[in-house]
Amino acid sequence: MESTYGVPTAPIATARFNDYVERDRQSHGIPLRFTYPPYPVGWVSRETLHGYVEGDDPVTGVPLMEEVINALTQPLTEAEKQFKARKRPQRERLLEPDTEENLHRLFLENGWTDGLPIILPTEERVGEMLTGTDRAPDEYVGMMSVTTHEERLQYTVEKCAVIAVMAGCRPEHFPVILALGASGRPSMPSSTTSFASMMVVNGPVRNEIGMNSGLGALSPVNYANSVIGRAWTLMSINFGDMRPGATFTASTGTTINYNNMCCAENEEESPWEPFHVRKGYKKEESTVSLFRGWNVLTQGIGPSQRMLEVIKNLSGGFGGAFSFAIDPLVAKSLKKDEGYDDPYKLSEWLAKNMNSEFASPDRINFIVVGGEMNPMWVTTDFSHFQTVVIEPWIPKAGIKKDAKPLRMPEPVTCADGTCGISL
Amino acid sequence: MSNKLMVLDPVGQPTGIFGRRLDVDSPMFAIHDPTYQPRDTAEALSSLKMAERLDTLEGKTVYLVNTGFAGAREFLEEVRDWFSRNRPDVKTVLKNKTSSMFTDEPELWKEIQENGDAVVFGVGG
Repeated sequence: MESTYGVPTAPIATARFNDYVERDRQSHGIPLRFTYPPYPVGWVSRETLHGYVEGDDPVTGVPLMEEVINALTQPLTEAEKQFKARKRPQRERLLEPDTEENLHRLFLENGWTDGLPIILPTEERVGEMLTGTDRAPDEYVGMMSVTTHEERLQYTVEKCAVIAVMAGCRPEHFPVILALGASGRPSMPSSTTSFASMMVVNGPVRNEIGMNSGLGALSPVNYANSVIGRAWTLMSINFGDMRPGATFTASTGTTINYNNMCCAENEEESPWEPFHVRKGYKKEESTVSLFRGWNVLTQGIGPSQRMLEVIKNLSGGFGGAFSFAIDPLVAKSLKKDEGYDDPYKLSEWLAKNMNSEFASPDRINFIVVGGEMNPMWVTTDFSHFQTVVIEPWIPKAGIKKDAKPLRMPEPVTCADGTCGISL
Repeated sequence: MSNKLMVLDPVGQPTGIFGRRLDVDSPMFAIHDPTYQPRDTAEALSSLKMAERLDTLEGKTVYLVNTGFAGAREFLEEVRDWFSRNRPDVKTVLKNKTSSMFTDEPELWKEIQENGDAVVFGVGG
């Protein structure tokens, strides 16, 4: 309104956004004259709002409405007329050399990590990670921001390798990391609400790099799932410029942000076509599918009839979207007992018949995950946003594996007669 | 020096490319989707200027635009009532954005330019 339409404006944001707005002024180069009532403004009584309007701006101490009127009528100062955006400098490739202890502290104090220990990205380690792809280290991969409006930061193959090292990945994981980077999508976009993401890998790469799609696939029992999911978070922090308070405003946050529900789909036990095939990709292609919403809504138990009974009363979908991560036992029951040979038919049925919370079949997704210990289903309010093909990032010679790839224990069976008893 | 390590910087490089409010015809949820998110550039932003201020609000029309965040409508109704009580010489027009808080709404901006003198946006957060 100010610049294009020449109309003086008095924007109002709650006082919690004072710093955020100041940063926005600096980065966008326009000194908008904000006024700040106390917070929150939503879900408070009319009397409270009346008091805000009659009261003072808690940031400046000036009566709120006087400030609004001043914003529209006080002549622009020279400083406001000459206001310029602050340009961020390009960053050096290497940090100042320091001891291991000091560098770990530096990464933590600068907010470059998730707070857990990292592997320091030395040149040697990053160089080794780069053997996980044929792509040139300086090749542009993408750009990202956790905000909708601030400056995107760009990253190369080498920057992605830095993140992969920090997360604890091996070169065999690197093509998935690069595919995540190519999405340009942060795992935890900034909102005063707390967004969460889920990432699901399909296709041959799942088993080749030892991802878990079976028992405990959403639990921390698998190396590949853990480090790949974590890498997306570290990308979001460092490429998405995620800084709490400045660019990241999730009020409570969510622990899903640590690992982003990273798993593979259990294509072997699913009675349906794999998720990526249902989205138009070939079965022999490897993909990573990205989902986003607010939260896990429920965790249920019981085969198809029980599930359909329970979700009758489901509510809280983000924009009417629901994504279900269901154990193969539930999927098999939905096919065998209810006749859903294609989960999209179930999505259509839910949108048409279940309840108005289910917006449209295109926003209802089913992923088959789990180890058939119990017919469990996990209901999220996630939307499927994007599927990225991993193959372009895989070396021509195939996935670069260690001589002895690191694999955590498979679920214990009695096939060898030990029943998992350590002697 | 021997026990010092050389490590790479993990932070991405500035691009001069910024996100922007959604176009009117942007698909739903595009605000969360970088593939649809409209872009702005540092060059375009550097040309932004503040509008000249009014000498007075007396006899002027001030649009109160509800951006759509929770409580904004009710807050702006209180602002409207404050003007009625304290500045009856100012005409206020309370408008709700018809699209999401993230979406551009040029028709409303034109209406304000043609029929109004100033605008109060609220409430962010």
